[in-house]
Amino acid sequence: MRFLKTALVSCLALLASVLAKSSSGDKVLVLLDPSLDKANYSIFFNGLEKRGYELTFRAPKDASPAIAAYDVPNYAHVILFTPDTKSYATDVTPQSLVGLLSENTNLLITLSPKQTPLSSLATEFSLIPPPPGTPLLSHHPKRDEPATLIPVEVTKSPILTAGTSPVWFSGAPHALGNSPYLVPILRAPATSFAADSTDDSGAGAIVDATEKSGEGLWAGSQLGLVTGFQTTKDSRVVFAGSVELFSDEYARKPLPDGIPSGNAQFARDVAAWVFQESMVLRIDRTEHHRVNETDAPEMYTINDQIVYTAYISAYDARSSSWKPYDGLTDLQLEFTMLDPHVRTTLPPVAGEPGKYEVQFRAPDRHGVFKFVVGWRRQGHTFLHTTTIVPVVPPRHDQYPRFLSAAWPYYAGAISTSVGFFVFSALWLAGDVKGERKNLKATKSE
Amino acid sequence: MAGAKASPPTTPSSMSHTVSALWKSYVQKTPERLKFIDAFLTFIVLSGVFQFVYCVLVTNFPFNAFLAGFASSVGQFVLTASLRAQVNPENRSEFKDVSPERAFADFALGSIVLHFFVFNFLG
Repeated sequence: MRFLKTALVSCLALLASVLAKSSSGDKVLVLLDPSLDKANYSIFFNGLEKRGYELTFRAPKDASPAIAAYDVPNYAHVILFTPDTKSYATDVTPQSLVGLLSENTNLLITLSPKQTPLSSLATEFSLIPPPPGTPLLSHHPKRDEPATLIPVEVTKSPILTAGTSPVWFSGAPHALGNSPYLVPILRAPATSFAADSTDDSGAGAIVDATEKSGEGLWAGSQLGLVTGFQTTKDSRVVFAGSVELFSDEYARKPLPDGIPSGNAQFARDVAAWVFQESMVLRIDRTEHHRVNETDAPEMYTINDQIVYTAYISAYDARSSSWKPYDGLTDLQLEFTMLDPHVRTTLPPVAGEPGKYEVQFRAPDRHGVFKFVVGWRRQGHTFLHTTTIVPVVPPRHDQYPRFLSAAWPYYAGAISTSVGFFVFSALWLAGDVKGERKNLKATKSE
Repeated sequence: MAGAKASPPTTPSSMSHTVSALWKSYVQKTPERLKFIDAFLTFIVLSGVFQFVYCVLVTNFPFNAFLAGFASSVGQFVLTASLRAQVNPENRSEFKDVSPERAFADFALGSIVLHFFVFNFLG
């Protein structure tokens, strides 16, 4: 049934839009606050459904459908369009959301200038929310809309399509902490700041407040508006400062200079990243063997020449399959026993996409070593693999023999033996001659 | 060993005189077979000295090869010297139970065993 549905949809995809399915599942639960109009987000939701996702809608206070049953998530992804909701049903708590992330469920969370349980959850991901009730304001560029509705330039990012037009934004910024797992997606414009009123009479009070709280001025492009976080289990969560980013109203609104806004494209790209469609890699398999051999030996000997190969694929959302990926130029291999004894690059093999190979010499130490490939780059899945191998000292018959430095000793030993044999032969010959002489002498007597 | 007793040396010339008298006596009085054994002994000594000098001056790597080669020389010297002692007619009174043939058999057997160990350790 599922197969038929997929086949039908992929046929349609050849005629219609791009079919892009997630690498980790298609079931999405959307928690939609009752105050938001579902029809206002039709472009976003219909786009998801067209790409093959199964959306289930629910109000935050409803108990069913439950996100997880007995700690097993029922959905692969959860969208929380609940920026102002302060109370949820019992299955949605900050702890349960973090638990979902450990079970490889991805989250798309929207925040707002109001203080909600989700903004305190954002603090756990090293995002610092502004003081409550301080939306982002900008008086530039000159436009008819109010100062809280800001067109934001989209900077270059591997997550977003190049050339996306500026997006409309109205909501709360956040400051980025120093966690290395954060992936900034959209930053505030340089001319923006967070304040609780649109006229500038309160500016002095804002500066005083920031000096008191010690976080600095809530202004400029140091602020993030949409930020992602990839956990060590490779589940992804995006905190967006505004739910209207994803709305039809903003997608259709033209920018002050007349070009259409990039909201629809931006929302599609962000959803593709969060739902594990783009920038998803995996190591298919690794192989190791000695040079001129093909099978992995049970153990290596010190100073062996070893060849290590890794096969890496990337998920291709267009075809919903894993394809070999040869774009990694900075993979490293470590041959480790407590400390890396060998650390070398793992370059791609020209002509064989997805294959990364290196040859190196095992160190002069014996012990239990690990082949470690660890690769962490912002926005991409973390690659990590370890293989344990023993490295033993040479057997008694694996040492080099007949060394050229030892030929005098070989010559000495051999000459002694040869001399012994020659001596014995001559001695016995002399003995026989002596006997014959004796016999002759006695006979003649 | 048959030979004139050396007079205590008083001058360098008398020292060289003593040595040449010793040598002449050795050449004349020693039986042929003993001289044959002595030749073999000299050869073994030279081989051993050469290996030792090489080890000290050039390199002692690989050490097991040096030990094997040097032990071969030393062991063979000891066995041949004992053969000479047992076979010497002047020592017949000390070696009444050991006939020259028995002495040679002991020598051959010991040498075979020695060479076996030497080539095993030579590497």
